[in-house]
Amino acid sequence: MRPFLLLETALREIASHKFRSFLSMLGIVLGVSSLIATMALTAGIEIGTRTFMQQMGGLEYVSVVNKEISGDNIEFWNLSPGRTLMDAKILEEAVPLISHISPEMNHGAAISVGAISDRKQVIGVWPDHAIIGKHELEAGRFISDLDVERTTKAAVIGHQILATFFPGKKPTEVLGQTLLMNGSPFVVVGVLARYERDEDKRKRELNEAKKPSERVEIPRRGRSSRRWDPFRGKNESILIPLSTMFHEFKAGLFPMDAMESVRLDTLTMRVGDLNHFREALDQVRSALTVTHRGVDDFDLETREEWFDRMESTIAATRLSGGLIAAISLIVGGIGITNIMLASITERVREIGIRMAVGARGSDIFYQILIESISIAMIGGLIGLVAGVGLIEVLVRVAPSDNLPVIEASSIILSVAFAVLAGVVSGLYPAFRASKLEPISALRYE
Amino acid sequence: MNVAVLEEVTKVYRVGDQEIHALAGVSLTIKEGEFVAIIGPSGSGKSTLMHLLGCLDTPTSGRMEICGKDLSRAGADTLALTRNREIGFVFQSFNLLPRLDVIGNVELPLVYSGMSGRERRERATKVAQSVGLGDRLRNRPPQLSGGQCQRVAIARALVNNPRILFGDEPTGNLDSTTGEIVLGMFRELHKEGRTVVLVTHDPDVAAVARRVIEIKDGKISREYAP
Repeated sequence: MRPFLLLETALREIASHKFRSFLSMLGIVLGVSSLIATMALTAGIEIGTRTFMQQMGGLEYVSVVNKEISGDNIEFWNLSPGRTLMDAKILEEAVPLISHISPEMNHGAAISVGAISDRKQVIGVWPDHAIIGKHELEAGRFISDLDVERTTKAAVIGHQILATFFPGKKPTEVLGQTLLMNGSPFVVVGVLARYERDEDKRKRELNEAKKPSERVEIPRRGRSSRRWDPFRGKNESILIPLSTMFHEFKAGLFPMDAMESVRLDTLTMRVGDLNHFREALDQVRSALTVTHRGVDDFDLETREEWFDRMESTIAATRLSGGLIAAISLIVGGIGITNIMLASITERVREIGIRMAVGARGSDIFYQILIESISIAMIGGLIGLVAGVGLIEVLVRVAPSDNLPVIEASSIILSVAFAVLAGVVSGLYPAFRASKLEPISALRYE
Repeated sequence: MNVAVLEEVTKVYRVGDQEIHALAGVSLTIKEGEFVAIIGPSGSGKSTLMHLLGCLDTPTSGRMEICGKDLSRAGADTLALTRNREIGFVFQSFNLLPRLDVIGNVELPLVYSGMSGRERRERATKVAQSVGLGDRLRNRPPQLSGGQCQRVAIARALVNNPRILFGDEPTGNLDSTTGEIVLGMFRELHKEGRTVVLVTHDPDVAAVARRVIEIKDGKISREYAP
């Protein structure tokens, strides 16, 4: 029997029992829609997390952190100078596997421009900070080697700082403007790009495209906002040369020959080649052991473990969501089996007639199987639409940081699962039907 | 040429612990172009005999040859193929598919012989017209009278141009006038040279045939020409 005709027969059968067919596909509808929804949600989380990981410096990012000294070492703790500029210099010169190094010093300062004044964190950096911190400039330039060397009073500011201290001004308009830090004038040489998630960007651009009168004021996200903004810190950056930081806020003159006295708040670096990640870490460790005079007071913090944890969380979310969807698909499949069994019992005579005029067992088998697949397929397509609706509802009811993303693969996968459920659930009824004896089937009342 | 040959055929059914000998050694030959009636009371084994001749079943023992093929031990698919190519059935209760229209019912055997859609429809239409259903092609069985339903069944039985046409109490569900008309159609078909086998308990129906085989207790008890 021809496949097209089988399909036509199946659809005719489904159409003539609309309500029953709908009931039997309900399980598949629910299964597919929940599968689509969970996959879209996890895909959203995954994309959000990946973007965040990238923005945070990626896997190549390594940070030197202080460690509690314990055991026998405790008597020697004061031998080690801790994390100092010396560490950064040594890493720069002696560890070729490290491509970028960013020593940083933080200091809170009263910032003021005209009448506006507020307390903010100021960070003293090297030029490499731009790469390690994944900064992009919207206007002007970043802190340069020359700035560090000459301890210039240059400042690079984030978008939020621009909005706070230079309200209504464009990034290009503030270049060359003066910013007072604890009363000391700094010149703005650069403005960083606005860091935001794609979703926020879309909303903002949509809003800006409207006429000013129709614009909705997008509420600024404070710490109290229930939606956490991973880029808040970056947008609040005020960056100045590290040497200037030391000179202005810490201890008068920059002691070029006493780098060990320049204590760092943060020391981060970037491994040049991930293939030599382990070796790079070993080199860093041995270099730092020298500068720390053999005292084990530091640790190398990598993103590896953290990223692994994120990955496994995503995987677990995927798995549990998939499992729930799989269970509902199995239940849906059982529903189809059940109704198909009832339906063939009802159609024994029809099957007998078909056999009497020459249908083989296999013809009957395929007829029932195609019917069951068709039910599952239609259920799957309805489930697809329902799944998209479900996502809309979820986004409205429980907004999350990550917009759900419906990937083509998840559509293919869920429809494939629906078809699979149709095949599996149709096999037994189809087999039963194909094994009917023509005579007894014809006599069946 | 012989279209059906049975030699010492038996058929035993098992119902629980009981064995029922539906046929107890039947030998029979039907030649091409014959008009045969198989007659007997209910439970005599005449239906079983028709099931064997119509390739709906195989014998427990003995030899069965239909249209030149030995089908004594044939599998389900071979039987299905033979039914499809060589045999047409007209049943007492019509056995039409209620959801298909006249064309859909008539073309059913062609569907299983793998004919293309257009060809199927053309042939089904032609055969349906030949039995006088030309104006009913798009009606479904529930919209038709008993006589019309039996015409659909006859058209379906003829559409594959079978070697043997079986009628299993074909007038059983019809009033006498319509029954007469249907029997007349069988007679016409026989005149056109087709092999026709009627199974009935009614001697009046059997009387239209040229050869009557009487079955009793699973055996041929008498054979005569009316």
